[in-house]
Amino acid sequence: MSATTAGPATTTRNDGLSRLTFGGILRSEWIKLRSLRSTGWCYLITVVMTVGLALLVAALLPVADGGEAGDTGRSIAVSAATAGVRFGELVVAVLGALMITGEYGTGMIRSTFAAVPKRIPALVGKILVFGVVTFIVGLVSVAISFLLAVLLLGARNVHTDPGNIHVLLPLVGAAGYLALIGMMSLAIGAIIRNSAGGIAASLGTILVLPLIFTLLGSLTNQKWVLNIGQFLPSSAGTPLYTFVPAGPTPPLVQSGFIQLDALWGGLVLAAWVVVPFVLASVLVRNRDA
Amino acid sequence: MIRAVGLTKQYGQRTAVDGISFEVKPGLVTGFLGPNGAGKSTTMRLIAGLDRATAGTVTVNGKPYAQHHSPLREVGILLDAKAVHTGRSARNHLLALAATHGIGSGRVDEVIGMAGLDSVARKRVGAFSLGMGQRLGIAAALLGDPSTLILDEPVNGLDPEGVIWVRNLVRHLASQGRTVFLSSHLMSEMAQTADHIIVLGRGRIIADAPVSSILAQAKGSGTVRVRTPDSERLTALLGGEHVSRTGADPALLEISGITAAHVGELAARAGVILHELTPQASSLEDAYLELTQQDVEYRSSEGATA
Repeated sequence: MSATTAGPATTTRNDGLSRLTFGGILRSEWIKLRSLRSTGWCYLITVVMTVGLALLVAALLPVADGGEAGDTGRSIAVSAATAGVRFGELVVAVLGALMITGEYGTGMIRSTFAAVPKRIPALVGKILVFGVVTFIVGLVSVAISFLLAVLLLGARNVHTDPGNIHVLLPLVGAAGYLALIGMMSLAIGAIIRNSAGGIAASLGTILVLPLIFTLLGSLTNQKWVLNIGQFLPSSAGTPLYTFVPAGPTPPLVQSGFIQLDALWGGLVLAAWVVVPFVLASVLVRNRDA
Repeated sequence: MIRAVGLTKQYGQRTAVDGISFEVKPGLVTGFLGPNGAGKSTTMRLIAGLDRATAGTVTVNGKPYAQHHSPLREVGILLDAKAVHTGRSARNHLLALAATHGIGSGRVDEVIGMAGLDSVARKRVGAFSLGMGQRLGIAAALLGDPSTLILDEPVNGLDPEGVIWVRNLVRHLASQGRTVFLSSHLMSEMAQTADHIIVLGRGRIIADAPVSSILAQAKGSGTVRVRTPDSERLTALLGGEHVSRTGADPALLEISGITAAHVGELAARAGVILHELTPQASSLEDAYLELTQQDVEYRSSEGATA
């Protein structure tokens, strides 16, 4: 301790042995995450739904009588393995919002901010730990789904090459998509602070906004309305887990319609995490806990 | 050492804490007293940086709380027993807090033992009684072995054994040279625990003095309670104006203006039997009520104080 903090003569203090560090904050958030039952349940549901839907699609998707191979085979395998993403993202979004709104709802946030009074490091630690764990859970679910789908499809004479980079990338992309959606939801939750509100806002952004833009687009028949819809998180993220055959990539804008590729879609989705998170940080820093 | 200068907190139009300045010194138990809504909890949240001050500053050991490198080792805080996620076990809650500062699980189990939570440490906090929640909050405050402790209503909801535990704990911590700042709206509790008292009323400091001097200033001090089977004779001996009956029991007298020693001597000389002779120190409770009479925000309509 420096001279400016010349406090009282206290007993048995091992200064320097323990202090607030970012590594410690990450460990703390990891303990918090795994010590709640809701986390385990939500992740289990994610895995079960992803694998279950993959099996369903692999078993029931109509295929040509002679079987499939090449890019068509690859595409079928990838869409089977990632069929559950559309449902998994809802679970992950709910969990992400609960990660922070649960702390506000129970009062835990005051303990958190008493231990990390600068607050922002706690928020950063929370979103990072949640993002990494969600990515891993997503990757495990998609990997299991893919292996089972390949086996099942193989029996139906639909063949793919599991080592192909164009097949593997969208599988990793699916896990990344789930992690980013969850992180966005956590940031929204940090802004709203209330569980019901946070979940509603997140699911609204993922589910309802695209419907509104699609509806408006078809009613007005305006390209720009549909084009804005392409920048919503669920639309922008879709190319992340979609099979794209090798070869020249199509242009981003075709006859006035925007179609984001995996790279741009990923960047747009990342912005959906960063912008709410920066807003949340400013609010968290200045609000009373 | 806690030092507040011109500390002010407004919630919208309402001023909860109104430009208060005070010091809480190491080696003493400092009581923070005031009626409900006086601003005690707000002041404590301001010290811990959980609420942002509208004006003024407050430092702990020379720095704002948030500026310390290891806050939990500087200050242990019990703000309310419900600052815990109800879905987590007590031990996991403490482990998570400890991890931020690299405090090991050995220390976690130590504070669990100190707070008497061994048997429930692995149960979910949602099932805890108020008293157990309070013990968990105190355990959390002790985690970092801090030099300053801030405890908001620590005995709230505790059973008598728990109250005595808290009383001995804070006395012990202060005797080690630590700064102990605890709030209560119960003067009787403070009388047995605190060395120094800061009284808050409607966001302002009404008194900031050692317990002994607050007692000395109180009016109406020094009555003597006497129980005697011969109350008529004793009343006559003492001269009626000093004596009043306090209850239904005719044997019980309240005597003012004469010391207990004097009453005893008079009775002995006249051969009056006394069953009880108790000097009634003016209670801290009376002193407190007198101090806060003008500043109670929520007063029952009859003005009764139960």
